[in-house]
Amino acid sequence: MIDENISSTSPPPSISHLMSHHSTTSQLTNTSMLSDSRLVNIDEEAKLVYGVVFSLRNFVRKLSGSQDGFISYRTSQYKLHYYETPTGLKFIINTDPNVESLRPALRQIYVNFYVEYVVKNPLSPVEHPGGDGVNNEYFRAAVDKFIKSLAVFDS
Amino acid sequence: MIFSVYIINKAGGLIYQKDFNEGLAKLTSNEYLVLAGTFHSVHAITSKISPVRNVTSTGLEVLEADTFKLCCYQTLTGTKFLIIADPNHPNIDNVLHRAYDIYSDYVMKNPFYAPEMPIRSELFDLNLAKLIKSVGG
Amino acid sequence: MSQNTRLSMTSSLHDTRYARRTSVVERNLNKTRSAEVGLSAFAFLFSEMLQYTQKRVQGIQDLERKLNDFGYRVGTRFLELITWREKNNRREISVLDILYFIHTTVWKALFGKQADSLEKSTENNDEYMISDNEPIISKFISVPKDLASLNCGAFLAGIVEAILDGSQFPARVTSHTLPIEGYPLRTTILIKLDAEVLLREEQIK
Repeated sequence: MIDENISSTSPPPSISHLMSHHSTTSQLTNTSMLSDSRLVNIDEEAKLVYGVVFSLRNFVRKLSGSQDGFISYRTSQYKLHYYETPTGLKFIINTDPNVESLRPALRQIYVNFYVEYVVKNPLSPVEHPGGDGVNNEYFRAAVDKFIKSLAVFDS
Repeated sequence: MIFSVYIINKAGGLIYQKDFNEGLAKLTSNEYLVLAGTFHSVHAITSKISPVRNVTSTGLEVLEADTFKLCCYQTLTGTKFLIIADPNHPNIDNVLHRAYDIYSDYVMKNPFYAPEMPIRSELFDLNLAKLIKSVGG
Repeated sequence: MSQNTRLSMTSSLHDTRYARRTSVVERNLNKTRSAEVGLSAFAFLFSEMLQYTQKRVQGIQDLERKLNDFGYRVGTRFLELITWREKNNRREISVLDILYFIHTTVWKALFGKQADSLEKSTENNDEYMISDNEPIISKFISVPKDLASLNCGAFLAGIVEAILDGSQFPARVTSHTLPIEGYPLRTTILIKLDAEVLLREEQIK
């Protein structure tokens, strides 16, 4: 698991999570300076986020009947965007509450970076037991760069 | 279009559920109870996992899905009002506040209502239906 | 000991906070405009009254009787006040006059509006009806199905009965829900005057 901490001025909070179909969080990239005084530690948070997302996804499925219904939720302080691949990988990004849907961006992370740098990497494990995570330099750097290039990053 | 209205008491129990328009799956009353319970716990956790420092976040306020959006208003006393509407319905917050108004009038002032218990009140049904109709169903 | 401390605390609170304000007994009896009571405050009080009563009665009739009693206690006191305020000690001696007084003046003082109708029964000579299309006291009340015949207007009937009694027009007063189109809560107060009242009415004609 990677917890990256890069200082930048006035960033919208953005953390991206990547989850496999098990309840392990494969990768947590933290691209803001907000992480050090969180209410819960990052391991604990990952579990909570997984629980929330899992419940909401089932909640939406139950109500709407569609498989891929859950898009995002927001509170007074943040917004959580959600994208799930057909294979059951879940991509999550947190932003400030006013950001438009980042689902396309999450999809891009999956298609352009996860598939490219993780799936196509012969050394990368298929499953990630024990929360080892996607310990992959290229992937991390690419995601980091990509998120910082988003128009919403320092708006 | 507004699909349904839920009221969840402070312990997470569903005390009111009414569909106003077709569009969502029909569930059994037991399933609705489970959904309400799930929502209640998720709501609590969402405020805990806020990434913003030094500011307490509310719980989940708006949930977006492809066929609907769900808006939640939690009163200071812990009761939650939920409205499920189609994704483009404007100004749900206002409807939620007015539903709370109607609740405080026709539920809390009704001598036959036991607090935290399921709501069975003719006048509440009547006035809520009127409100939902006035904002375009 | 703890009781003592509490007592002294309340009294000191009383001294500092409320002493300078005029208490309700010092207020001018005639002042009506700013002396209105919030509807919510009333609704909650009435709701608690009903719940209190409901725990101590058996059956709907018993409950209505209790409500009637409550209303009666309000009515006797209220008659005193409203006579002083509105009538310059004039006394009504005819049935119609006292009923009209209840229909307009009393209703206005209690609910801020006149009652919606005052009728004489066509069947019985001694029966009169005062109706209110939207009675304020049951504005927020939804009666559950198992108590469907309960009418919270019994409280109102008690008030009317007390006013009639106090004005020397003894009568039996009951309340009934008689919905008409557009007014599902319309309540009618049925007044059945005692025989002696009608007799007296004949004599002074």
